[in-house]
Amino acid sequence: MTFTLQIGLPRMHKEPGERRDFLPDFVGKLARRGAEIYLEHSYGSGMGIGEEAYHQAGGTAVHFVSREETYRQPYVLVLRYPTDDEIRLMQPGACLISMVHYPTRPQRITFLRERGLEAISLDSITDDVGRRLVENLRAVAWNGLEVAFQTLQKTYPAPGLTSPERPPIQVTVVGVGGVGTEAVAAAIRYGDPTLRQKMLAVGAPGVQVTAVDYDLTGETAVMRAILSQTDILVDATQRPDAAKPVIPNEWVGWLPQHAVLLDLSVDPYICDKNGIVQTKGIEGVPQGNLDQYVFAPNDPAYDQLPNCVNRTHRRHAVSCYSWPGIHPHACMEVYGKQLQPILRTLIKKGGVQGIDPNGRYFERAIARATLSRLT
Amino acid sequence: MNIPKTVGFPRMMKERGEKRVFLPEFIQYIASLGITVFIEDGYGSRSGFTFNDYRQGHENVRRATREEVFQKDVVIVLRSPEMAEFDLLRRGGCLISMLHYPTRPLRVARLQELGIKAISLDSIVSDRNIRLVENMHAVAWNGLEAAFDVLEKRWPALCRPDGQPIRVLILGTGMVGKHAVDAATKLGNVERNNQHMQEGGPGVIAMTVGRNVTANPQTMEMLMRQADVLVDATQRRDASKPVISNEWIGWLPEHAVVVDLAVDPYTLDASPPVVRGIEGIPQGNLNKYIFAPDDPDWDNTVPASVSSQHRRTTVTCYSWPGIHPESCMRHYAAQLRPLLKPLFAKGYDGLSLSDDFFERALYRATLKAWLASDAEDRSGRAGSSGT
Repeated sequence: MTFTLQIGLPRMHKEPGERRDFLPDFVGKLARRGAEIYLEHSYGSGMGIGEEAYHQAGGTAVHFVSREETYRQPYVLVLRYPTDDEIRLMQPGACLISMVHYPTRPQRITFLRERGLEAISLDSITDDVGRRLVENLRAVAWNGLEVAFQTLQKTYPAPGLTSPERPPIQVTVVGVGGVGTEAVAAAIRYGDPTLRQKMLAVGAPGVQVTAVDYDLTGETAVMRAILSQTDILVDATQRPDAAKPVIPNEWVGWLPQHAVLLDLSVDPYICDKNGIVQTKGIEGVPQGNLDQYVFAPNDPAYDQLPNCVNRTHRRHAVSCYSWPGIHPHACMEVYGKQLQPILRTLIKKGGVQGIDPNGRYFERAIARATLSRLT
Repeated sequence: MNIPKTVGFPRMMKERGEKRVFLPEFIQYIASLGITVFIEDGYGSRSGFTFNDYRQGHENVRRATREEVFQKDVVIVLRSPEMAEFDLLRRGGCLISMLHYPTRPLRVARLQELGIKAISLDSIVSDRNIRLVENMHAVAWNGLEAAFDVLEKRWPALCRPDGQPIRVLILGTGMVGKHAVDAATKLGNVERNNQHMQEGGPGVIAMTVGRNVTANPQTMEMLMRQADVLVDATQRRDASKPVISNEWIGWLPEHAVVVDLAVDPYTLDASPPVVRGIEGIPQGNLNKYIFAPDDPDWDNTVPASVSSQHRRTTVTCYSWPGIHPESCMRHYAAQLRPLLKPLFAKGYDGLSLSDDFFERALYRATLKAWLASDAEDRSGRAGSSGT
């Protein structure tokens, strides 16, 4: 009996600015592998792609259906983790392929298991040496730095950011894991090759990046010396204790007035009756999304922060839950290419049940990300 | 189409300190695919492995002389054999090694001349042009580990006399540079860093600059005067000019350690000549990778015409991953395993840009693919200059 992958691709309805959908080329390749693809009505419209482009790429294997119908398929592929209500639309035994983030979202594991669902968490698909196979950390860092430098162009005092007379720009990156190291590389290049070329052309001095790991942030005097000279402060930390900020709000006051705060971690604020349960790495930075990711010091978003969060000291802040989504087409091209061999393996093996944890390379990688194998 | 039936594993005999060999589990894996594996007599002995460790009773694992292993259908050796050893390869045989096509034109020409079907490990790339066989993590971490070892002898527990954090200045932010930032902020060794943190040590500040700052002497003087460790992780566009002139080395504090993570040699007779990124530093290897300023070996690796008057303790190694041989080879074996199946199924001649991920990656690393793309580049260049 031959296996046909029936897969639903719902749109992501998190915010109007979320425009990302998988591209027709990706859908076409799935179709050529024998999959039946159920796309939500208006899939691709946020990126200006019409239904006919998907039909053209995937022929009769492509069907446009309601959102509910996409979630009723045996496999559901959606980049950002859906809402609980959307997951309730899935049928027991079905498989969700999404960024589930098992290590930091235990409640999701419980919920999916309660619903009798299988899952493949995209962020857990790793190769034999532990490298993520589906990731876009580069876009997180580059897109964040691109916006930070755009903002700095507006806030930087005379003689201006593009002047050859200014000193080198000082960027401080806190946290040097996967995102942090990408941020270092992006910062040195102004987060934008075009801006970098412009700076080179006018002979403007470059960028000096100071990287500090989480452990140094306990050294108040050292941090004060660094922060007082920082033009862009980047939070790329993965903190062991999410209740404590790396940069308390008081320290934000040490930064020059024109400084820009860049939030590359996606931790939300959570408060309870005892105070802060979870905070952002830089205390007092609003949580942005694809609708709004730049916040001036007088932005009303500061006032909407939970009361337990100190937001006394403010600078221009840039923050986005989904930095790769700033450039949706480039982002989905990357994810599409990374996902092709994963889905091809699923089809070849007759679905997730056929995946052998000791099988070939991509089978092993998928097995590591499968909910039912999670210990 | 020639399907390989035998694989040879010669030893790497570059220097005494080169202990890297593929581990028994990798040899067993290949044998389990139905391939007969011939390992050179003494393979792995410097790391304490015997032939029986490799054979484990498997009839497909055999011992042979160096000459014999080079005659097999496929020959796998991490570092490229010397040019003279290419003559040992069978015409039409397949050599898998770090061949560095772009920077070794003489090697490419010789392989072509001998009709060797080569696959360069450093050219195996994914559809997104990401190298599938690499250990840049080890390059950065092992280099920084050696540097902090040196510094720790001067400053026990890596505490500066003034109690301030150690300052590391990193040049270059490519793949190696990014790992270097990570390694520097963790003292080159996670265990040492954890201990340092437990004892309330002051930690590290890593500063990174690119070409737009290294071109500015004024800024560089300020940064270098504060640096305890200077790391070269640059990939220069023009290898005939250093990034840091020897005179600038004089700006570093006397106690500073220079870390060389780039492996460009001094090749002054090439046209244009190739010099090292930091002028006047020696070239180390697995036998010796730490050079004090008064080391008598310093001058042995630096041509007399290169200025080396200003010296600081330098850690430099052509093969940084080889410092920890077993972990290095386990890493490479894990990366190589999925690539072998398409090779053994189709043979070198059968490889193409098919729809198999690993076959495509392997094809891109073949000498024939390299020559085709190089020819395209050349015709492209000729076309441009003609307009």
